[in-house]
Amino acid sequence: MAGPLTDTATAGGATAPPALPPAVRALGRAARLTAKRLLLLLVLLAAVFAAVSLLPGDAANATSERGESAADLAARRAALGLDRPLPERFWDWMTGLPAGDLGTTAHGQPVTSVLSGPFPNTLLLGGLALAASILGALALGSWSALRPGGRADRTIAVLATTAFALPEFVLSVGLLLVLSLWTGWLPAVTLTGPDGAPASWDMIVLPALALAIPQIGWNTRIVRGALADQAALPHVRAAVLDGLPRHRILTHHMLPGALPAIAVATATSAGMLLGGAVVVETLFNYPGIGAVLAGAIADRDTPLVAGVVAATGAAISTLLLLADLVRDRVLGAAR
Amino acid sequence: MSVTRRQLLWATAGIGAAGALAACSSGKSDSGTTAISGSAGEQPRTGGTLKVGALGRASAITRDPHGTQANESDYLIISLLYDTLTVPGETTNTAPRLAASWKPSEDLRTWRFTIADGAKFHDGTPVTADDVVWSLKRLRNTPSGKSRLPGIQPEGISAEDARTVVLVSDYPNAELPLLTRLTTFVLKKDTKDDALAGAPGTGPFKLDWYRDGNARLVRNDDWYGGRPPLDAIEVRIFESPQAMANALLAGQIDLASNVGAVAARTAEARKDVQILRRPNDMAMPIVMRTADGPFADARVREALRLAVDRDAMVKQVLSGYGTVANDILGTGDPVYAKDIPQRGRDLERAKQLLAEAGFDTGRTYDLLTTEDIAGLAESATLFATQVREAGVKINVVKQDSKVFWDATWLKGSLYTSYWGTNDSVVFFASKTMLSDAGQNEAGWNEPTFDEAYRKAMGTADATERGKLLHRLQEIEYAKSGYLLWGMADGIDLAASAVRGLPKLPGYGRVQLEKTWLAR
Repeated sequence: MAGPLTDTATAGGATAPPALPPAVRALGRAARLTAKRLLLLLVLLAAVFAAVSLLPGDAANATSERGESAADLAARRAALGLDRPLPERFWDWMTGLPAGDLGTTAHGQPVTSVLSGPFPNTLLLGGLALAASILGALALGSWSALRPGGRADRTIAVLATTAFALPEFVLSVGLLLVLSLWTGWLPAVTLTGPDGAPASWDMIVLPALALAIPQIGWNTRIVRGALADQAALPHVRAAVLDGLPRHRILTHHMLPGALPAIAVATATSAGMLLGGAVVVETLFNYPGIGAVLAGAIADRDTPLVAGVVAATGAAISTLLLLADLVRDRVLGAAR
Repeated sequence: MSVTRRQLLWATAGIGAAGALAACSSGKSDSGTTAISGSAGEQPRTGGTLKVGALGRASAITRDPHGTQANESDYLIISLLYDTLTVPGETTNTAPRLAASWKPSEDLRTWRFTIADGAKFHDGTPVTADDVVWSLKRLRNTPSGKSRLPGIQPEGISAEDARTVVLVSDYPNAELPLLTRLTTFVLKKDTKDDALAGAPGTGPFKLDWYRDGNARLVRNDDWYGGRPPLDAIEVRIFESPQAMANALLAGQIDLASNVGAVAARTAEARKDVQILRRPNDMAMPIVMRTADGPFADARVREALRLAVDRDAMVKQVLSGYGTVANDILGTGDPVYAKDIPQRGRDLERAKQLLAEAGFDTGRTYDLLTTEDIAGLAESATLFATQVREAGVKINVVKQDSKVFWDATWLKGSLYTSYWGTNDSVVFFASKTMLSDAGQNEAGWNEPTFDEAYRKAMGTADATERGKLLHRLQEIEYAKSGYLLWGMADGIDLAASAVRGLPKLPGYGRVQLEKTWLAR
């Protein structure tokens, strides 16, 4: 989902007129990047509306009871507004957006109230998993890059590939058995408290690990690769020849140059984390948006599907935008 | 699986579950578990909080007692907060609840329900007939109202005095109280749609908090039905039965409601977990079209009923968690005809019948099915293998659920169906087998059956009606378009300290007002 969104923005500063002061130029670039992200999000939402309507059946028969007559179904369809043309429904839904109105679910609840608990929960889970994956990948990737070809480097390479290749389902079940059902260290599932959040903090550990581990694998390889590229550059070699300590070479000479690649990898990870959340949240009963999405698609509940996509799309777009800006800044400075 | 819970839940709106009269228990023992929860000698203890897991999808949550309830978790919460007029019972299939008693008129068209003494809402106001009438009308005016209260028009619902509600049916209906069991939740008159979330009910528990399909309910000390032993019930919504089973195995919940046979198998090794089986929970009949097509000849249908290996179906499709059935639907009904001889496997006779009917064994016939519920597609596959031994070639086609309900159901010549409420022979007769029934799954038209049904429904005397219903079942057994090979158990997992759990199939599983904790 994040794939096609990432490969933009390389030419960020190339077209800016040279006469403007740098601050204005930077602002203009930022505005252009933001507009691009917004447009992509809009296209995505239109695609979602079209895709849900292409699935067999609709929300009226998904929420009807067995044995309702054709007339009852038609009444239900009209009540849900499904008898109107798709572009009209999309327009209606879009015009509600600025006011924060995401429409009503097929079961008659406001979409915003269905998402108000799960969305922050998913942001929390995704945020923790993302933080864990960045920290883990930076540590492992740096460790490995400083010892190219060594035993640690080779071991980490194998582990990283394995971690990324593991399906979330297998990993989740493994973690569940080892860390919960056999040892009793952690709760097996998340139970929701009166505030809609997990009832205790330790419930978030298993789902966060299940999401983070494959991403640590993926990002470790990116970090390792980006640092290796940097290591080959003349100024880094000069620093090595100068006899600077390794950690200083890493933090002052290698990481800054590797930052754009790492930033983009992080944003891509965010997309994959949210994709994985559908599986992981269901397995651990985590009250997040992934589970809502799966059910909404089964019910052909277009406003709810679009609401989930709008919320997650906005979150991912923000991260991608930040990555774009980081890249733009570093590359711009380099030029 | 998700799509489907809605259908099976509401498959039977208006009629329900009952009779723990699973006469014949299949091979598998109850693992001593029912013995624990049923130990009669123990005195119920008061106090404690029961944590219950129930299936539901966050996307399908509803708080409306008269709404489309796709979630078992929503239905559980609503049933604990609000009361229906009647409920499924253990010895009769309609037991009193908010209605303490009911009485028909001579012609069985007008029924008078008397509200239970001392019934009041959680805010202290007494329940009046006006509240009930308003609630029933609200129910009747929902999009599904007609199928929930069949034969009752909104004008046919009225209050006679403060404690008496009158329902008038379009036709004589000796079993009308059955209709009031599952969806007739009573709210205060004029409750606004946007005030449903906090609307007081009359049920055994009161709402403490609710959030995103999860809730905590506390005992209603003033409940007219007697003080429930538990201090509180916490309901947690689970998207997947697997996560629910894990929560129970890890001790995070005390009861995993309707968790299914797969979870039961995983839990079999655990001494500290009770496996509770509620018989006659789910029917998965094979429907053979009688109106036209290759199965229109009654001899062909008889041949298929003789070609199926029922024991093997129960053992393999249901993992043994079920019972063999005899092609009559409504197995949990007290009037279910247990004396009609059980059909067994007889391949010779089957082949002979097929030959007599001139059935084309050279052709391959499609059996349409879905993966709506666990075991359904598997039942079709195993059935196809079994009838091959009688020379019938069947190709199983799995359809997308939406496509199936749209294009195959009520129309196909051979398909699988399923029904979640199985305690009424009359329910299936009226809904799926009368020649003019709206959900006549096999396109059956049998004048003698229609006649037997009408006579039974116009007969007030219970013994006489029982005889007529027996006759009705004989006709169904001999000629209908159904092949009902077995009945799946409803399966709950519970922690060892939980006592007094409901044993009824279907909607009966929500009756937790007598449940208590031995700890």
